[in-house]
Amino acid sequence: METNWLDYDWSVMLPEATIAAAVLLLLVIDMLMKKEQDRRFIGLLSLFAVLAAGVAVAFGFGKEQTLILDGSYLVDDFSLVFKLLILGGTTLILLSALSQEKSKEIDYKGEFYYLLLAATLGGMVMVSSADLITLFVGLEILSIASYILVGMRKKRLESVEAAWKYVVMGSVATAFILYGMSFLYGLTGSTNLDVVAERIFEVTRGGYDSFVYLSLLLMLVGFTFKAASAPFHMWAPDVYQGAPTPVTTFLAVVSKTAAIAFILRILRNAYLPGLWSMGEWQDVVSKILIAIAVASMIIGNVVALRQTNTKRLLAYSSIAHAGYLLVPLALFASIPQFIVGNDVFFGSIVYYLLAYMLMTTGAFAVLTIIERDRQDTDIRAFAGLYRRSPWLAIAMSIFLISLAGIPITAGFFGKFYILLNAIIVRNLWVAGIMMVTTVISYYYYFGIIRQMFFRPPTESKKISIPLGLAIVIVIGVIGTIGLGIMPKWVIEFVEGLSWY
Amino acid sequence: MIKFAWIIPLFPLVAFLLLMIGRRKLSEGAAASIGVAGVLASLSLSVAVFLERLQSPSNYVATFDWLRIDQVMVTMGIEVDALGTLMLLVVSLVSFLVFVYARGYMRGDQRFSTFYAYLSLFAFAMLSLVLSPNLLQIYLFWELVGVGSFLLIGFWTFKPEAKAAAKKAFVVTRIGDVAFFVAILLTFWKVGSLELSQVFAAVESGQLAPEIVTTIAILIFIGAVGKSGQFPLHTWLPDAMEGPTPVSALIHAATMVAAGVYLVARTYPLFLASPIAMDVVAYVGVFTAIFAATIALVQNDIKRVLAYSTVSQLGYMMFALGSAGYVAGIFHLTTHAFFKALLFLAAGAVIVSCQRQQDIRQMGGLWAKNRTVGSLFLIGALAIAGVPPLSGFFSKDAILLAAYQDGRYIVFLVGVLAAFLTAFYVFRLFFLIFGGSYRGKEPVVSVPKVMVWPMIILAVFAVATGFVNFPTDAFANWLVEGNGIVAQTASTPWWLPVGMTILSIIGIAMAWILYGKRSVAVSSFGEPGPLPYRLLARKYYVDEIYDRVFVRSLKGLGLILQAFDRFIIEGLVKGIAGIISWLGRIGSRLQNGQAQSYVLVSLIGLILLVVSFTAGRLLK
Repeated sequence: METNWLDYDWSVMLPEATIAAAVLLLLVIDMLMKKEQDRRFIGLLSLFAVLAAGVAVAFGFGKEQTLILDGSYLVDDFSLVFKLLILGGTTLILLSALSQEKSKEIDYKGEFYYLLLAATLGGMVMVSSADLITLFVGLEILSIASYILVGMRKKRLESVEAAWKYVVMGSVATAFILYGMSFLYGLTGSTNLDVVAERIFEVTRGGYDSFVYLSLLLMLVGFTFKAASAPFHMWAPDVYQGAPTPVTTFLAVVSKTAAIAFILRILRNAYLPGLWSMGEWQDVVSKILIAIAVASMIIGNVVALRQTNTKRLLAYSSIAHAGYLLVPLALFASIPQFIVGNDVFFGSIVYYLLAYMLMTTGAFAVLTIIERDRQDTDIRAFAGLYRRSPWLAIAMSIFLISLAGIPITAGFFGKFYILLNAIIVRNLWVAGIMMVTTVISYYYYFGIIRQMFFRPPTESKKISIPLGLAIVIVIGVIGTIGLGIMPKWVIEFVEGLSWY
Repeated sequence: MIKFAWIIPLFPLVAFLLLMIGRRKLSEGAAASIGVAGVLASLSLSVAVFLERLQSPSNYVATFDWLRIDQVMVTMGIEVDALGTLMLLVVSLVSFLVFVYARGYMRGDQRFSTFYAYLSLFAFAMLSLVLSPNLLQIYLFWELVGVGSFLLIGFWTFKPEAKAAAKKAFVVTRIGDVAFFVAILLTFWKVGSLELSQVFAAVESGQLAPEIVTTIAILIFIGAVGKSGQFPLHTWLPDAMEGPTPVSALIHAATMVAAGVYLVARTYPLFLASPIAMDVVAYVGVFTAIFAATIALVQNDIKRVLAYSTVSQLGYMMFALGSAGYVAGIFHLTTHAFFKALLFLAAGAVIVSCQRQQDIRQMGGLWAKNRTVGSLFLIGALAIAGVPPLSGFFSKDAILLAAYQDGRYIVFLVGVLAAFLTAFYVFRLFFLIFGGSYRGKEPVVSVPKVMVWPMIILAVFAVATGFVNFPTDAFANWLVEGNGIVAQTASTPWWLPVGMTILSIIGIAMAWILYGKRSVAVSSFGEPGPLPYRLLARKYYVDEIYDRVFVRSLKGLGLILQAFDRFIIEGLVKGIAGIISWLGRIGSRLQNGQAQSYVLVSLIGLILLVVSFTAGRLLK
């Protein structure tokens, strides 16, 4: 059954095509330009491309799901939502990066933009793939672009070290994933997720269940690298600290979103149908995911207590948030209603990712301003910020309060929603651990607030806030508060989509 | 009018936004006018709502769907019941008077507009809190009043004590907030709804197991303990006196700290259904009442005496609620809001006239210098001491009667003793400030007019509020009508009011003998004194015990965990990594061991997952 490639509905790939074209175009433009020329318009062009892709994605909602490229590329509501999150995160990061033009931090500005776009493209391919091969290709586009991005400040030792670590760790993680995928292929004889899903039932019945779980475990552990959760979390603090701040934001927000989508896709499309009907899902897979989630929450929040560098602190906070995000992922299939379409869990995952994106990009944008001003990312650099720039301090406090999960913010509501998920499925001890670790996290978030409000500033010069960063911060504040007050808009939108 | 009740909190919110935006440009007069106008609008509408509620005693509920969770609809909106109407009135009235007063008190402050902005934010949150129809909304505004309190305690950021106090208030009340939040989750789990009406229906129909009701009620009470400064979470409240005095009067005496009492009253059917929870509320309340009253005996800072007095009076309200005295507790909440706000504002006037001196050892003889403030303070003191016919007399009587009729004789007796101590410590304060001769060094200055007349209005309320429930039970009947709670209307035994009056007068007399007549020499304050005195002066060493037991043990735990992290975990990892690199590859330059150990951790994680997974299957 050979289909002519012209018969596919290529229009659904318009967002990806936009980004890919932009990458190639910018590459050529950058090459033709003289070295001293201002490359700001490359940034503006990439911003334009990302926005255009976002509009294209937005128009895709409500259509039938489309499967192209021999059943390997799937465009459905699920992938569209995650693409929107990825493009939204990239937009905010581009806006922050544009403001950094003048700084000498990044020498190769053209490269920065098109690599960032390439990484975004990889993420989009990941969330849309219905085949192990496509999934892997997407993952590698994202990973290889991020490796270079991390090492962008190549004259700074810490950046080089971070990039090196990131490459090595990433390669190991990739090896885990490939190994898991090869098991899956060996067992089912296909790389297509739907075919895999059909055959997994027989394979598991046929006495190969251990290998099915081995493949799942190998892939899961590999994916925890991208999501920065335990047990593959240890790279995060070093790499977050060493990478340029926009790249750190990218790793914390976009990479994590893609990874969560990836886990969700593999679990739901390949493993869930077969394992659930045998009751193995609830007994085994759910528990493994909970173990990973709990470990991330505990490690992230406890170790963050002793951090004095803001970027490292946010890295541990990012590990902890990966843990929170995995809770609905672990629980979503543990009650019977899921078959008839209990979308509560997807709602809470997407809502939390959106909230996390807004508050994290906001916090990193404020950190960027501080970093520009003080050339330092230590927590002490925040001292007396309230005196020097009250609005900036208030904005940062809102982000931190949201990260800590205190009302009336999106972060509070996201956590509340996940807690209710846990309570609905009667998994109280996960809810308990989430509560306890959240309370622990108050301490270190509050540490930054204390610096801003209660410590005297070391200098009284006014802080200049570039336009791009100001926009990011304003979007972050409005989003964080707005989503906290009216979560209904996002959640009803997400739950109204077709998830199956 | 009642349909527009939802607008009441919005006026201060608008004021808050205006003040925040214009805070650099506004003059003092303009800023104060915006703030005062906001609460005045709220006050007028609250009065209108109150009058309408008097005419037609039915609850008004208006909600909109906020969110659907699973099959459950969570709403936001307002519910105007009798308790809410009363709270609206009290909060907006005291807020209005304090807003006016602050015009004088904060004169010349660098961040004058910001101060009014924060106060308006607080008023918004507090007014919204008392209109909330469900637990989640209560919790949201519960946190927001906490934010307002935090900002205002730490308002004078140049004072290290203020910063420390703000931090402490934040941390200590959070303990209670977390308990409250767990109560909400538990309610959602067991009832499947957060609407108070549905929660109460579930309690009534027996859908909730008794032990669950008890757990939820006690968790809610812990939340109230944090907010209302009950033992053992009371330590933040006296420290909160580092905030400006109008803040102490409004937030830490009249309104926010009473939110805990309000919360217990609002969720009262849960408590009524659980005798254990009632016991807990009663005993914690009465213990706090006597405990704080004894500490108040020996404090030398005018505001700290009043702070401990607030803690003690809140204890009264709590044990009233715990003794089935719903009306008595709310009645005392109302009267206390007026007379304690009056005492604080008068104390603020004293502080201003002594040029920001707060130590009562440096005061004295102020009666002659400022008779108006003196008589206003005296009215507040007589009210809190329970001298008839001032308001405090009636409400305190009602509380003791509730405890007595509920058969809680120990609680009753301790309450009586605390009442005696109250009369004593408040008149010790009075005589030391206004009696004798002036001991301070700075000359006494006059108090601005704008500060005086809010106090006069409060004094009128402090005197007269008692008569809403005397000689008829009008207040009680109105408050409980239609909400299913039985008001105690049994007649008071004659000996109770008489005995209490005599006791109060003895307390006042003793204070006069010790501090008024002899006008104690300053030196006698400084002596270490006998053990009981030291114990009281050090506030029973509670802060020290907390420091030793909790803070240090937590720090210790942190250190142990850090050592564990550094030596055991890292040692383990390094050990294994070391062996591997020793065995395998020694040459490569780039290997610093670290990245290896990172990968190793991931590998160990995988192995752990595989092993536990296999073990789990074998054990099945």
